[in-house]
Amino acid sequence: MRTIKSWWLILAFLSGFALAMFAEELVLTWRDDRLLFSAPHVHFISGKPLDLLHNAAPVPFDFQLTLSSGTRTHEFRKIQDRFVISYDLWQEQFRVVKTLSPQRRADHLTSAAAEAWCWQQISDQMSDGLHVLGGTEPFWARVDIRAEDGKDGPLFGRSLTEAGISLTSLIELFSRPPQSQQSHWGPYEAGPFTLDELKRAPRRGS
Amino acid sequence: MKTLWLSALILASPLAGCNVPDDDEKLAQDLNVNSRYTVENVRISGQKLKLKISDHLRSELDRIVGQKLDDSKIKRLAERIQTELAAVRVDVKIVKGDVPDHVVVNFEVSPSRKLPFDTNVTRFQYNSKEGWTGEGAVSTTVHGNGFTFGLLSDGDTSVERFAGLRAKYERLNVGTQRLKFSFEFDSYHEQWNRSTLLEASPLDIYRARQTFTPEATLLILPSLEWSFGVSFARLQVPVAGASTTSKTESSNAVVNTLRYHQRWGSENDDQDQDVQASYDLAAGTGVLQSDLAYTRHLARARYAFRRGHSHVEIGFLAGRINGNAPLYDRFVLGTSETLRGWSKFDLDPLGGSHVVHGSIDYRYRIFQIFYDTGAIWDNPQEREQKQSVGVGVSKEFKKECFQLAVAFPLRAGRADPVFYAGMNF
Repeated sequence: MRTIKSWWLILAFLSGFALAMFAEELVLTWRDDRLLFSAPHVHFISGKPLDLLHNAAPVPFDFQLTLSSGTRTHEFRKIQDRFVISYDLWQEQFRVVKTLSPQRRADHLTSAAAEAWCWQQISDQMSDGLHVLGGTEPFWARVDIRAEDGKDGPLFGRSLTEAGISLTSLIELFSRPPQSQQSHWGPYEAGPFTLDELKRAPRRGS
Repeated sequence: MKTLWLSALILASPLAGCNVPDDDEKLAQDLNVNSRYTVENVRISGQKLKLKISDHLRSELDRIVGQKLDDSKIKRLAERIQTELAAVRVDVKIVKGDVPDHVVVNFEVSPSRKLPFDTNVTRFQYNSKEGWTGEGAVSTTVHGNGFTFGLLSDGDTSVERFAGLRAKYERLNVGTQRLKFSFEFDSYHEQWNRSTLLEASPLDIYRARQTFTPEATLLILPSLEWSFGVSFARLQVPVAGASTTSKTESSNAVVNTLRYHQRWGSENDDQDQDVQASYDLAAGTGVLQSDLAYTRHLARARYAFRRGHSHVEIGFLAGRINGNAPLYDRFVLGTSETLRGWSKFDLDPLGGSHVVHGSIDYRYRIFQIFYDTGAIWDNPQEREQKQSVGVGVSKEFKKECFQLAVAFPLRAGRADPVFYAGMNF
């Protein structure tokens, strides 16, 4: 009887741990004096956007990353960026173009590498202004991702060059809820963290 | 935090819209890795749909073959296909071509949610000398089979006024998209002008006519098609001295038409040009048990040019009949399109066996002036050139053209104007 109880306890613990690990959508780590954001379980190059990409349509993905400090509602910093991804029909590899300044481009990527490149870029941008945040000050992170693949999506909506470089258009975009036909991920939230805590731990999530 | 937020905005705001057009073009190419590939072919799902789009759009689609893939061009073409076909949506699917570094562009058209029946008034006009002419039709397409049913009363295009019904069946794809088949049945009752009755032989005047016309149309080139078939006409000719009894005569003929239509530019461009030309040949022969043996040739051409609000249109036609053609097939001038201002009965109450006609129309915005000249005759000594001029206003609304005009025959003595009003004439 005692043996059965122990097994139940271990099983419950492992299930809870696995569930917690699986639920960890937004992961923050400290590496090379930079705060890195990632979401290993979130694959935005999938579903309808991937279908569009396989039809040779470039698909814009809009990211909004928000840090709150002190309290969950106190916005410390918010950044937006747009990444236009296209899929090379002949080489079967992805290209990602970061359209807001500084404009950057990466070629010959797998889908996982393309997603990772987007996270890397957005992390770099957020890390640049992070020194203002105190080491012991608690903060929360929140990320929102949207693909422009709805009825106003690629090939039928605003031209990519018009929509791709305007920061104000991105701010306006995230001020509205996503359209019903638009693919979106999140918002995913994580926290509270402190920078000191993240610096001590090699890897940490919510 | 707000300060930071504002700083971010202020720093980033010069970046918004800072690209010049060349940069935009380069950025657009950078954004799609496939823009370096060449378009190998362009297809529209449901090839019968390709036959429904305008020649101009079709040639624009063909024009992107051999060019580098351009998202913005493809987007514009998809929108135009959607507009022309009144489609719910047009999806673009791009796949690898057969040749390396080439792609095939597929436009997938979702069918229209329009009502299955299309009702329209194809022509409606008033001529102060000949009265009303009107034509309306209902059409529908079911699984590639087109059906049209129309009613009309026409006092304009022939020496007779004919009124009745017109029914047509059309198979839009017979084995290949280039070939279609149609069968038309017309049934009319005739009314004759007094001057025609005075001039004509009683045997030429018929009370009613029914025509059956099976015909095939072959699309030789995108701008050239050839129709060929047979026309079987039954004419009810009153027996001399009897008001109620009649005999039936046949006028059966092999019919051929070669049509050419080409357009450069569109209504969205600063200028556009349109050329239409056709040649009709009908041969009534005893082989088809025809009581009337004749051959009829008719060539027509029309050139239209528009720049801004100025439109110029030049028309020409020439025809010749050998043998004894029925009155409905004889040439007529003095209609709403030819020698406007003249009465067709003053020119030739029986219609002619030879005709030549030319016209030039100029329109600026809604104002219109025109000049017609032509001759109609049976014997060379009767040939006499006639002329007319006119002014009017016309306004296109959606696909309909409303027109009001007055035309004067140019002749010595009294000027007797003719007024025209209506749509699509």
